Amino acid sequence: MLPRIINLILGLWLMAAPAVLGYGGAARGNDRIAGPLSVSCAIIAAWEITRALRILNAVVAIWLLIAPWLLAFSGIEILNSTLVGFLLLGCALVRGYVRHSFGGGWSSLWEPGLRGSSTNDQ
Amino acid sequence: MRDGSIPPGWSYNPSRCSERLILVLLALAGFGIALYLSLYQLAVFSTVWEPFFGAGSQNVLHSQLMRALPVPDSALGALGYLIEAVLGWAGGNERWRVQPWLVIFYGLTVASLAFVSIVLVIFQSAFLNAWCTLCLGSAAISINLVGPVMDEVLASLQHIKRESSLGDSLWRAFWGLKPNVAANH
Repeated sequence: MLPRIINLILGLWLMAAPAVLGYGGAARGNDRIAGPLSVSCAIIAAWEITRALRILNAVVAIWLLIAPWLLAFSGIEILNSTLVGFLLLGCALVRGYVRHSFGGGWSSLWEPGLRGSSTNDQ
Repeated sequence: MRDGSIPPGWSYNPSRCSERLILVLLALAGFGIALYLSLYQLAVFSTVWEPFFGAGSQNVLHSQLMRALPVPDSALGALGYLIEAVLGWAGGNERWRVQPWLVIFYGLTVASLAFVSIVLVIFQSAFLNAWCTLCLGSAAISINLVGPVMDEVLASLQHIKRESSLGDSLWRAFWGLKPNVAANH
């Protein structure tokens, strides 16, 4: 749960950062798209059944690390994007504790056979 | 002896009514918010509640995109929440097995509403540079519904796969019809 909470805070920070740190242009647009995306993924990935969505936040994180160089950020924008990118990547890569079992999970749908489809199988 | 309401290989029943009741209440809260916003967009109310972002709510709710359709977007949101509440409520404790179609329609509704919410939040955040507290609240509800609903959807999909692997047709399994034994033998 903790990685998702930190992730949520990072996403909210991305949404607020342009106003707090006072930057505009491409960096603002970028962070205000990445922010809501990251928050949404964090909320959905907080649930065990949809934990896999954390991987989308790893993609957002990698984008935050390369965006400053592709979109020509400057100064504080580079620092913020890089820092948040690393922290977000760290959170996204932690799977976290899964307490429940889901009959093989989503992958059971495309794997041959289905775990638990017959009782007392050898 | 295994409790028949718990799907094979699961540690709990994803369709249990106690969990679904909370989701129905959340959907009804979303319905209330969306209804209020649509009444503002239809000019029934002249002001809208906005504690944090000043003119943000007005800018968002009167923006071009939000008025691109013949009806206000929040009215469609309200309809979506109402459908979610009904689909969340309908059916019994074992509906993942008895009514897979219901569970799958429910999952699709929740997923679509969450997707639209995310797009609208990005739109107001990146393109309008304005925030609307109640819109964000409504979006938070619809995004938060995805996780707790998807477990039921997975149980239903696994059930359909299991039934069809036993020789039943996908179609019959989807509608929760009894296995057509006569056709198999």
